[in-house]
Amino acid sequence: MHIFTHSTHNGTFLADIDPRVKLLCSLALLLMVISGKGLLLPLVTTLLCIGICIRAGVRLRSLALRFAEPAFIILMIVLLKLFCSGHAPLFSVSLFGIELTGYREGLTEGLMIATRIIGAVSVVNALAAVTPFTELMAAFSWLRLPQAFIEVTLFAWRYLFLLHDDARVIYAAQKNRLGYTGYRTGLRSFGTLAGTLVIKAFDNSRTVTTAMLQRGYDGNLPMLKHKPFRIGEVAASLMFIVCMGILWKL
Amino acid sequence: MMKVLLCITLLLVAAPAYAMHISEGILPLPWAVGWFALAVPFVALGIRQLNSLAREDLSIKPLVGLMAAVVFIISCMPVPVPTAGTCSHPCGTGMAAILLGPWISSLIAAVALLLQALFLSHGGLSTWGANIFSMGVIGSLAGYLTFKGLRAMGAPLALAAFFAGLQADWATYLATSVELASGIRGSEPFLPLLEKILIAFVPTQLPLGILEGAMTAGMVVLLYRKRPDILVRMRVIEPGEVKAHG
Repeated sequence: MHIFTHSTHNGTFLADIDPRVKLLCSLALLLMVISGKGLLLPLVTTLLCIGICIRAGVRLRSLALRFAEPAFIILMIVLLKLFCSGHAPLFSVSLFGIELTGYREGLTEGLMIATRIIGAVSVVNALAAVTPFTELMAAFSWLRLPQAFIEVTLFAWRYLFLLHDDARVIYAAQKNRLGYTGYRTGLRSFGTLAGTLVIKAFDNSRTVTTAMLQRGYDGNLPMLKHKPFRIGEVAASLMFIVCMGILWKL
Repeated sequence: MMKVLLCITLLLVAAPAYAMHISEGILPLPWAVGWFALAVPFVALGIRQLNSLAREDLSIKPLVGLMAAVVFIISCMPVPVPTAGTCSHPCGTGMAAILLGPWISSLIAAVALLLQALFLSHGGLSTWGANIFSMGVIGSLAGYLTFKGLRAMGAPLALAAFFAGLQADWATYLATSVELASGIRGSEPFLPLLEKILIAFVPTQLPLGILEGAMTAGMVVLLYRKRPDILVRMRVIEPGEVKAHG
């Protein structure tokens, strides 16, 4: 959760670009990365997007944490592919008395998937780094995602931090009272924590609705209004997509 | 046998094991689109049900949003898995399905997965559909049907909730394995790869399912003791049951 609360959206000119343009560019890039057959596009995308994240002020530690899960999955897939897929032996190693053979085709396939994952993760990280969440949801709304879905997501986003703070306090209190000393005690404490969060969610939903009704809520949340597209931004993004498309073709 | 051992070793190396989410970029485009197309109707059902409920009760949208936040928080909590010596996390959809039904639970999972993809890199936008289908649709349906089935057979609340959480977790794990095997198999045959992935996930997912079951049971028992009105409002129990036990 720590990295979640440290997303940042400034320090780069990309922060001022229309969120719809950023979203469309990111989706186009994502499609190219996952449908590409070569290594060049995902690698260029990774470098570009990591650069954007760093320029936007994302801390290296946060970035490393965000890449930790994909990195472990990559490791698992590359090793699975290397040792379990293919016919042409590349090398053999003996591990605890077990003879393991790595295959050329498996390594190639594994590396292809690995670069695809890293490239795609970088794109989403860059998008999140340079776009405030409410603007991103307004862009999703412009893409015709159902209004109810957008509203529920905005409610979740708004109250996530409050519930997270509550969860932290409850967890600390449970831990101080030896609530996680054994497996059974830990399970019971975790169940209590989940139940308490559900109770808080129900109670807060009532309070929030009452407060919103007093401010004129009629069951629909107003969305951010978009300004007209700027020709320069659209032209630049089209050029960017064409350039990346050329790399995709290579 | 050697390859099975290798799979288990690999999993032990992959310590955090956020095994429930398929990472961004793993699935090739046709599979990503296919799973998305499969997930959309279920989320649409959830949205339709939500809109219909919102016409009668304006607090339902904030409630579903807050439940999505709860599912998000629960699925971010690292829980030690003793058999693997690692941490993993529950998915929380069994709990949401018991309280709000499988369709709204699919919507909740879609929201939680979107937030996780954007800000934590757990899951992803290209694998959003696949993750919604495994965690939101299959997990929710498995949890909901198990709970309702066991309750209809007269099982106590805690027992039904335990098996609902367990089934939701294991069904999600099974569906994720199928999605992963179909997506990464390349020229390999599907079934042997599925077998390897299933075996690789066993050390974390088997105990995690039990943990998820215990968490769901703990949550339902706490609600029953402290706030039975919530269970009655969500039609998890009949009003008469509160009096009978109270």
